[in-house]
Amino acid sequence: MKAVLSLALITFKEGIRNRSLFGIALVALFLFGLNISVAGFFMRDIGKVTVDMNLSALTIAGLLLVFFVGINLMAKDIDRKTIHLVLSKPLSRAQYIWGKYLGIQFFVTVSLLLLAGCSSLTVLLLKSMYPAYFGGFSWLIFFVAVAFVLVKFWVLGAVVIFFSSLTTSSLITLIFSLGAYLAGVTIEEVVFYLKTEMAAQEQLISESLKNFIEAITWILPNFAAFDFSLEAAHGLALDSGRLLGVLSYGVLYSVILLLLASLIFSRREFN
Amino acid sequence: MNEIQLHNISKTYNPGLFKKKVEAVRDLSFDVRQGEVFGLIGPNGAGKSTTIRMLLGLIRPGGGTIHFRGQPLSATEMQRHTGYLPENPYLYDHLNLRELLHFCGRTSGLDSKFIVERGQMLMTKLNLTAVQKRPLRTFSKGMLQRAGICFALLHDPSVVILDEPMSGLDPIGRKMVFDLVMELKSEGKTIFFCSHILNDVERLCDRIGLIHQGRLLRLFERQDFIQHEGVKVFLQLESLSSDQQQGVQRLGGKIRPDGSGWLLAVPEQNYHGINNYLEQQQLVVSGCRSEWASLEELFMQIIEEAA
Repeated sequence: MKAVLSLALITFKEGIRNRSLFGIALVALFLFGLNISVAGFFMRDIGKVTVDMNLSALTIAGLLLVFFVGINLMAKDIDRKTIHLVLSKPLSRAQYIWGKYLGIQFFVTVSLLLLAGCSSLTVLLLKSMYPAYFGGFSWLIFFVAVAFVLVKFWVLGAVVIFFSSLTTSSLITLIFSLGAYLAGVTIEEVVFYLKTEMAAQEQLISESLKNFIEAITWILPNFAAFDFSLEAAHGLALDSGRLLGVLSYGVLYSVILLLLASLIFSRREFN
Repeated sequence: MNEIQLHNISKTYNPGLFKKKVEAVRDLSFDVRQGEVFGLIGPNGAGKSTTIRMLLGLIRPGGGTIHFRGQPLSATEMQRHTGYLPENPYLYDHLNLRELLHFCGRTSGLDSKFIVERGQMLMTKLNLTAVQKRPLRTFSKGMLQRAGICFALLHDPSVVILDEPMSGLDPIGRKMVFDLVMELKSEGKTIFFCSHILNDVERLCDRIGLIHQGRLLRLFERQDFIQHEGVKVFLQLESLSSDQQQGVQRLGGKIRPDGSGWLLAVPEQNYHGINNYLEQQQLVVSGCRSEWASLEELFMQIIEEAA
């Protein structure tokens, strides 16, 4: 366990000292600033727009963190053969996978929590400027939505680790992970559409395509499940059963991916 | 006792679809004895790094067996006792040397106090104390090489595997590493290393394996190239006529061409006879050497024979 935590710690330090982080923080701060400056244009929807924009800004920042910094924290080890040095120590391949994952998650979580603090200040400021339009707003639901943005990036982190364990280049890992994210965000809508009457009237959608999509919904991560922005924007009550279900899904999916990654990684050769 | 034993190991790389397979190592067998410095030399692409990677468990041999202290290789167990320096150590850019060594110590199961003390001792020896808090990305190639050596030696391993340890080092850095290897040897550590710098191999190694196209061509002891049939005195002569060559050989001397002149091996018991003959023939002795053939000469000769 000490070895895993040591690796997680240096991975975290490598990530948090990366200069790209300043750029990502600036993008997020720009989006929060944009929110403050344009919120007044939305009249009655100021509260909803504020929550939506803040959660979107956090998601964009999280994606940039994972794709531009997080991927390199493992893929660069393999690219640059730093892994030869690391694996020359008494550290198993599985420990390496878990250590890297924890390090990346620690880095993403700390960075996003800092940005979530800025986001909360933005919401607080706008709430004090336009108190009449934040009637249904609930801090609890807002923070739950922020927490599930984090859970989404825990799963995405596991996806990145999984593809890093398979491929030899950070670019390929980026392409695969981005593909999995885009498919994971949209797959729920595709499935929903296929179940509608409109889709039933569509002649071009074959049964085999429907079966294929049904099958890949079980394989791809359903990132839309972690999206609670609608509830946070409208102050809708959250069902604890659903929260627990989504959290369990995220944890289980990540653990399965990491176990698979450990298995693949332990059989991999490093030339 | 043998620390490491490789028996008939082979490795073939598959570079991908429609590409020819590359046989990197073929039926390679040798052993590294406890407390010795074993050097593996060979031209580029000979299979030296592949051999080291198989030893470390980074790649699996296609055939054959590797034993560590008589037991089949189990990577994590071996790694507790070995330190490894790769050819070009790529370290973490945003960490400093202290953090890197702390990570190394923790993964090796050391306590913080020992890590700090041992780290400081190694950094002092390798002249890195002043830069220990600087990010590793600001290190020069030679400094990275020395930092890699600290990383390899922190847990005080009994077996040290060094892949081109002198690569990228200036003369001062080379001297530091040379002294360190000699010190490790005097402490009874087993050292296995690959190098292109034959002068270093010649000075450091007790035994040398010459590998070419994945096969071990020759395994020789230090005496094999320093001495010639027990002879330790070698004179360089400017010229020798065929009569003089026969005369020297009649008196028990051995000769071979050496550059534009000749090298004469003088057996101890025949020294006076040969010396008198050289004086009588008024032959000019232009110098003397401490070895019959340099490692470089042997290396070239064996590689040419193999080709």
